[in-house]
Amino acid sequence: MDTDKWFSKLLDEPLNELVQKSMDEGQIPIGYSCSYVPEVMLSVDGLFPVRMHATGIAGTEIADNYLSSVICSYTRSLLEFALDERYDFLRGWVFAASCDHLRRLYDNLEYLKRPGFSRILDVPHKTGDAAINWYTDELKLFAKALTDHFGVDLGADALAKAIREHNAFNAVLRKIGEYRSGDKPVMTGTEYHRLVIAAGTSPKKPLLPILKKIRNDLPKRDPLPPYRARLLLAGGHLDDPGYISIIESQGGLIVADRLCTGSYPGLLPIPETGDPIAALAKHYLTKTSCPRMMEAFRERAEDIVKLARECRADGVVIQILKFCDTWGVEAAAFVSCIREAGIPVLRLERDYRLGGEGQLRTRIQAFIESMGK
Amino acid sequence: MNKIRYYGGCDVGSTTGKAVILGPDGIAGSSLIPSEVDPEITARLALEKACAAVAGLGDIGNLAYLIGTGYGRNEVPFANENISEISCHAMGVFWCDPSIKTVVDIGGQDMKAIAVADDGTVREFAMNDKCAAGTGRFFEAMSRIFRMDLDAFSNLSLNAKKTIPVTAQCSVFAETEVISLLAKRNPPADIAAGIQNAVAKRCFTLIKRVGLKPRLTVTGGCAKNQGLLVELKRMFQIDIAPLTIDPQLIGALGAAILASRKG
Repeated sequence: MDTDKWFSKLLDEPLNELVQKSMDEGQIPIGYSCSYVPEVMLSVDGLFPVRMHATGIAGTEIADNYLSSVICSYTRSLLEFALDERYDFLRGWVFAASCDHLRRLYDNLEYLKRPGFSRILDVPHKTGDAAINWYTDELKLFAKALTDHFGVDLGADALAKAIREHNAFNAVLRKIGEYRSGDKPVMTGTEYHRLVIAAGTSPKKPLLPILKKIRNDLPKRDPLPPYRARLLLAGGHLDDPGYISIIESQGGLIVADRLCTGSYPGLLPIPETGDPIAALAKHYLTKTSCPRMMEAFRERAEDIVKLARECRADGVVIQILKFCDTWGVEAAAFVSCIREAGIPVLRLERDYRLGGEGQLRTRIQAFIESMGK
Repeated sequence: MNKIRYYGGCDVGSTTGKAVILGPDGIAGSSLIPSEVDPEITARLALEKACAAVAGLGDIGNLAYLIGTGYGRNEVPFANENISEISCHAMGVFWCDPSIKTVVDIGGQDMKAIAVADDGTVREFAMNDKCAAGTGRFFEAMSRIFRMDLDAFSNLSLNAKKTIPVTAQCSVFAETEVISLLAKRNPPADIAAGIQNAVAKRCFTLIKRVGLKPRLTVTGGCAKNQGLLVELKRMFQIDIAPLTIDPQLIGALGAAILASRKG
């Protein structure tokens, strides 16, 4: 099996072969769109989470009738796919009120295309004890709604099991990620991102043995030919490995990422002790680290600098979706902070749909050249 | 007797192909041709023409080192390497005049602002988005509406009595707007001034992103647009530094200079 091709194929359609197989086995797919949605709660026995994507979308002509052109293209693409019946296989979806754009998407889907189960989680903008307690209550209501609707068990033991499985799965992915970050990387950032996105958009159980085999085989691989620069990729939603491929085609190897849809902070382990719902609330609220959260800018900026230093990145590329209010505002401030730390940084805006490849290549090449690489 | 070493730079743009041959005494030959459909053919024709201008050089294969740049830089198989046009324009300008610290390169389909470091490398850059509004293609479209060639259109705004604002910078919308303004019998020169003003504003936005540090110059084909230069001077309240060679050749020159450091 050509693993790369197989994983690429998994990303071609939301309803991929693993999703179909799990559905055939009686598992219920639930869509979600934001890192604040605790996908672990959708991973209890009987359910599996599918992070919603609209890979290969050609345009958003229908969605543009409902969502204005200053709504980010990821959000509009999801609506277009929903109206194109590409998510009809989902038995429900869960959104988070993480930004106004996703809220508007939820509103529109409520009257345009409501599945059997539809919910939006209210996420506090702070991460203190009061906010964690509040979010814990919100997740308890969410757990009850899932149980009531699907008849699945989200009790403490069931959730504790889901957390253990989630951590074990992510540990495999994290280990694989080390092979792109070391002194002599053996895998590209493109290949790794493909695995991470496939893991988020496919059921995990059938994927785990394949990922374990990849992890076991990686030490036998030859190192990649030398790249001109090691780069850290930061930013919000990015589910297209093709974008990273363009960066790497210019000699900038992505050795680490800090993306909503990436390996950090998304693959960090969840505490396995104490009340599972409280643990989930605290983990998702404090670790997701989206610019929507108030009073944590310094922490987020320092996190990027720390990560860049840990992976010995020569530079940082920040990619943001056009019209993403949260990342758009904060990215400008990140640029100053990262530069002050002595690390070259390039800020790129993009549309959800991959385009303008020539200009992206020029920007990346010029950035690498400006670093003297 | 040692053989003279010549270095080549080839800038394969969307509209024109440029080549510069650098010899021991500076620029030994250059060329500027319209782009062919195939960037490789554009590069070959431009280089052959430039090489032919250098006595005793012979063909492209005799260049000691050749660097490709421009949007078609990946399609120059006979080049030793390719370098982004951003780095090449910075180096080309630095070679002409090291006191220039900010460059606006306006080519056929994109626009870039470049902050040049003290050694001629790129300190910072900003680039327009996918849309080609405010670039050479935009001016070509505008000149067609006025039934003029590009040179005549470039000078049209110099006779303006006032500036009629053209709000849209999208080529398609601007075309509609300008046709309406002409139909209402507004003086063409005043409308042209509005067009130049709109493009200058676009430059302003890009330059703000990298920071304007004097001196400022303009490169690329649109640097020959006198109306735009006047508008930029007025907007920035700063003289546009003239270049010692054709501003359209700066990318190829920068590539040739970088080639001379490698070969």
